[in-house]
Amino acid sequence: MSDRKRLLTPYLFVLPNVLIFLIFVVFPAIYGLVLSFTKWDVISDPVFVGLKNYISIFSSESFWDTTRKTFIYVFAVVPWTFVTSLALALLLDMKIRLRSVMRALFYIPSMLSAVVIGVSWRWILGDNFGVINYLLERAGFKSVGWLTTPSWAMFVVILVRVWARAGYYMVIFLAGLQSISSVYYEAARIDGASVWQQFWQITLPLLKPTSLVVVVLTGIEAFKVFDLIVVMTTGGPGKATTFLVQDIYRWAFERGDLGYASAMSVVLLLILGLLTAVQFGIAERGGNAYE
Amino acid sequence: MKKQAAKLLIVLLVVSALSIPALAQKKVLDFLWFSDGVEGDVLKEIIADYQKIRPDIEINVIETPFQDLRIRLQTMIAGGTPPDLSRLVNVGDFAPALLDLTPYLGLEYIDDFVPSTHRNVIIDGKLMAVPVDVTANGVIYNKDHFAQAGIEVPTNPEDVWSWDEFVENLEIVVEKSSARYGLAYDYTFHRWLTILYQAGGKLFTDDWTAMAINTPEGERAIEFFVELHDKEIIPRSIWLGGENPNTLFRAGLTAAHWSGNWMLTNYRDNATHFNWGVMYMPYGKVRSSVLGGKYVASFKDSNHPEEAVEFIKYFTSTEVNAKFNEESLFISPRLDNAQLHYDFGADMFEVFSRELAVSPPHAGSDWAHPFAGRIGDDLRDIIVEALQHKLTPKEAVEKMEQVGNRILDDYMK
Repeated sequence: MSDRKRLLTPYLFVLPNVLIFLIFVVFPAIYGLVLSFTKWDVISDPVFVGLKNYISIFSSESFWDTTRKTFIYVFAVVPWTFVTSLALALLLDMKIRLRSVMRALFYIPSMLSAVVIGVSWRWILGDNFGVINYLLERAGFKSVGWLTTPSWAMFVVILVRVWARAGYYMVIFLAGLQSISSVYYEAARIDGASVWQQFWQITLPLLKPTSLVVVVLTGIEAFKVFDLIVVMTTGGPGKATTFLVQDIYRWAFERGDLGYASAMSVVLLLILGLLTAVQFGIAERGGNAYE
Repeated sequence: MKKQAAKLLIVLLVVSALSIPALAQKKVLDFLWFSDGVEGDVLKEIIADYQKIRPDIEINVIETPFQDLRIRLQTMIAGGTPPDLSRLVNVGDFAPALLDLTPYLGLEYIDDFVPSTHRNVIIDGKLMAVPVDVTANGVIYNKDHFAQAGIEVPTNPEDVWSWDEFVENLEIVVEKSSARYGLAYDYTFHRWLTILYQAGGKLFTDDWTAMAINTPEGERAIEFFVELHDKEIIPRSIWLGGENPNTLFRAGLTAAHWSGNWMLTNYRDNATHFNWGVMYMPYGKVRSSVLGGKYVASFKDSNHPEEAVEFIKYFTSTEVNAKFNEESLFISPRLDNAQLHYDFGADMFEVFSRELAVSPPHAGSDWAHPFAGRIGDDLRDIIVEALQHKLTPKEAVEKMEQVGNRILDDYMK
């Protein structure tokens, strides 16, 4: 193969992926940025309004309320998912009976679509037709407004999210756990370290790269949550579980203001970018546990 | 064997070649449609009849759920591929993209339709759509629950219940029957407007430039609605939990359903295990229903505007419109179809018609406002805040006025 061909070949292999990325991600993102400076209802022509959309967003009480609720959701989902998936991974890394079956069972929810999960849990938790309330009433208790009380609604959307995704991150942690050499544990046992000490001094530090991946991915996923919320609570009761992405959707498709919705998308992108940068910054400052 | 295969291939090629000219001559019109009941099936029969008269036309019905109509239509228009025809509930919302029908049908075409529909379809002096059916809000009730409780609903339109009597009687029905709740109430701003009008209030000023809801009547409407929820006459799971009111009524959990005439075919076909009917709605300060409607329109960027208009003319003609409304159990907007012959529920239509006849004019004109659909969701969210007691009724109507005026100013610039 000539030198020129050898140089070009790798680029040709990645070209389809790059094209897809450009067409479906980069160009729409640039177009969205341009739209964010306009007022456009799709039906008429866009009208340039400069920074008006951004000024409206940052002076909107509703935006800050939605952002606050989104952060509450994210800061609940991320640690819960982390702890639950790590605990499952630690348990299912041990040599116990039916380990493979249990791994598969915990993984199954992550294979279901968010719509299926949302509809199923909506039926389980429904006020009048829900299984949980039926059992509560049969046991002589009062039914609970799982989806009609703001605080309970927030709790159940967090709980269902953790239930749905813990299995997926359990698999990532399992891979991380299996990459830790047993030599460290043997040495620790010889030195008389307890199980807790082994976990805090060996497992957790050596899982740092995996942990960073899990935290970043769960954080981004949690910020982008949409389908599960729409199906389970439609953002209600009232707007108790309306988060940023759903608000963007409402502005774009229900209120018909694509300019404003695009500006909100840009703001969300900046928030996600900032948080990701912070996470990587913290991770790098921590360094490798055994350097 | 090979010779036979070759012969078959030649025959297939010849048949395909012969069909190409036929296909090429047929014009295919896309018709975006949503259904509340069986009207989609009725439409398909009408289209089949039309295609016999016009074999050069093929109409492709694109069915979409009602809640997705706006989004789907927006996307099609934004992509430069609007349908040739669409069923609409708010014509003004899409007016800039619609085909002006005036050059084709003349403005006088609308004279054959009830005057209350004119403001919905004539925008800036142009005919932008044609009414297909008229809707009326109303209360459908479970006769068995009421009978079990020994309560008789009013049958004399001159002597209907007041709001207080309505609540009182629903409480008795819940106490003495197997109904868990008194009333399922649709989670839409349009349905809530019935209460506003019954309280003597209105949504917009007559010139449509500002909100007119911040009045003692508006406040009373919110107060009454909150009361219905606080007393659990209406289950909180609908407006606060997104539960389907149709499901609650069909399951016999509620004694009544505040909805409209479009539900009749649904309950005729699906609520077969109990007896039900339509009752006269209560009055607050006045009696009122809400006049709504469905319209058919074409689009500026349609590939077949003439053919689309021809179908609109056919679909809204006296006979075809009568067939559509009789078989779908809807009310016709045509003046010459005032007395239709329904196979089912003729007495129920009598109730709906009488309710519409006593409704104030703004019960029809408010919802004709081009931006009524766009502010509806925001105003509904404010009602939910009142239901959660985050706002008093007074604060709620003040906020509705503020939010509504801001949106109107924004869109009318």
